[in-house]
Amino acid sequence: MVAFSLFVLVPVVGGLLMSFVEWDLFSAPQFVGWDNYRRLLTDPSMWASLWVSAQFVALGVIPVTIIGFVVANLLNVTMRGIGFLRLFYLLPLVASSAVAATIWGNLYQPQSGFINQVLGWFGVDGPDWLTQPGLALPSLVVIMIWGALPLVALLYLAGLQRISDDIYAAAALDGAGRWTVLWQITWPNVWPTTAVILVLQLIGFLGGSLELALILTEGGPLNQTRSLALYAYQTAFNNLDIGYASALSFFQLLLVGALFIVGLYLRRISRRGVKG
Amino acid sequence: MNTHRPGPLRVVWIILGALVIAGPIFYMFSRSFMTSSEIYAFPPLLFPTTLEWSNYATALSYLTPLVILNSFLFAIGIVVTQLLLSLPVAFALARIPFRRSGTLLGLFVVPMFIPATFTLVPMFLVTYLLGWLNTWQGMIVPMAAQISFAVLLFRQHFAGLPAGLFEAARVDGASWGRIFWQIAVPLSKPMLATYCSVSFLTAWNFYVWPLVVGTNPAYKVINVALAPLAGGAYSQISPAVGLAGAVIAMLPVLVVFIAMQRWYVKGVVGTGLE
Repeated sequence: MVAFSLFVLVPVVGGLLMSFVEWDLFSAPQFVGWDNYRRLLTDPSMWASLWVSAQFVALGVIPVTIIGFVVANLLNVTMRGIGFLRLFYLLPLVASSAVAATIWGNLYQPQSGFINQVLGWFGVDGPDWLTQPGLALPSLVVIMIWGALPLVALLYLAGLQRISDDIYAAAALDGAGRWTVLWQITWPNVWPTTAVILVLQLIGFLGGSLELALILTEGGPLNQTRSLALYAYQTAFNNLDIGYASALSFFQLLLVGALFIVGLYLRRISRRGVKG
Repeated sequence: MNTHRPGPLRVVWIILGALVIAGPIFYMFSRSFMTSSEIYAFPPLLFPTTLEWSNYATALSYLTPLVILNSFLFAIGIVVTQLLLSLPVAFALARIPFRRSGTLLGLFVVPMFIPATFTLVPMFLVTYLLGWLNTWQGMIVPMAAQISFAVLLFRQHFAGLPAGLFEAARVDGASWGRIFWQIAVPLSKPMLATYCSVSFLTAWNFYVWPLVVGTNPAYKVINVALAPLAGGAYSQISPAVGLAGAVIAMLPVLVVFIAMQRWYVKGVVGTGLE
């Protein structure tokens, strides 16, 4: 309990306090009032990194949710060996961000990477995925989707098990096709699961692959993969600008809090929708 | 339950999907054994012609025995600390009636949705002010304190145990502490195994925290040591060596995961995320 409050609750309050000072970890902290927040609102780098975070969210959340839903439906069968096959779908869970970065960093390599080698086979001269402006961010999003997919699929699998057989029997009587059933019957019935997944993934992608970006792109090219989280990280650990980094962190927490509340609201609506 | 037997076309899709999703992992294993001429071969090779073990030898010169030992210390330290912190709390929340237990539970649930990415700077500051940079307690305790998941998992489990068991023990005059250690914990072995495997995997894979807190090489863990070998945009290290390093870094958790797969799935899905 003490440890929990020390490292979960104290940081939130402490972070808030720290965001009102200017400090480089070594000299005495200076109280500067709202300066860090004023600076935050007028800092073009902050807005640029917020935009990067928004792009991570925009490119990642909906694809991972839909692919996860389709995969869960694909796997929701009884047959010999399905447990073994499911294992393959879960493997990305085991890869740490450093391992994922190593694998994908290699896949994306312009000469030694598999992706460009296959493209070269078809006579296409593949780009340098991680350093070309405009491509680096989507390339990181693909890695994040790969990593997040197992959890989304697992949550949907659990959601699918709760849909009663009667609904499907009724649909079959009405002569609904398989695709119609998937999107007209199954999809609306897993809305509560979808709401949870959307919140988790929104928050996850808002973090904008801090670790992957640190390892693979260092925020580049042209700061195009420097999400808000990475900006706060660099402000704190590269520039030792602790007060401002705290303000950035607290701003992020507010964003997450807002998303969380929106999520709870969505979930309430979806529950009502399913009942009514 | 709306599961059914799939047609042959669907089976083909399931197998194709498995190959695509697990593809990068196969790629890692396959290329980690290739010579550099095989890696640059055209058309690209799917499998190495011989097993080039020297990649692993080179990788192990970066991922030293000390690094591997550190990783086990770090991950096991987190698992054990987490169990010590979360089990009593979960038991109290599930079984001991007291005021405001609902509020307290809420306090534990909310942080589960805040990834450490967002609290990194403030957590680092607390650790710094405690003078815990480059210490094992600084590496382990702040990460182990993220016990929301554990508390929820165990609370649900304890709440599901038959109430009569605890009432009988209370009537016999046993203290809550004794009931906890002699009844509740022994009845939770499968749950403990589930949790340990999930938590070990997560802890082994931590990257940013050990990177910023354990800057002294004496505290380097395997994922921190691996990162410079990753084929980043500006990397100079041979791809096969990096991939061999990735295999080594992943092997312990892969073994745990395959052995505990069934439990892992239950643990992830059954925490009341719903």
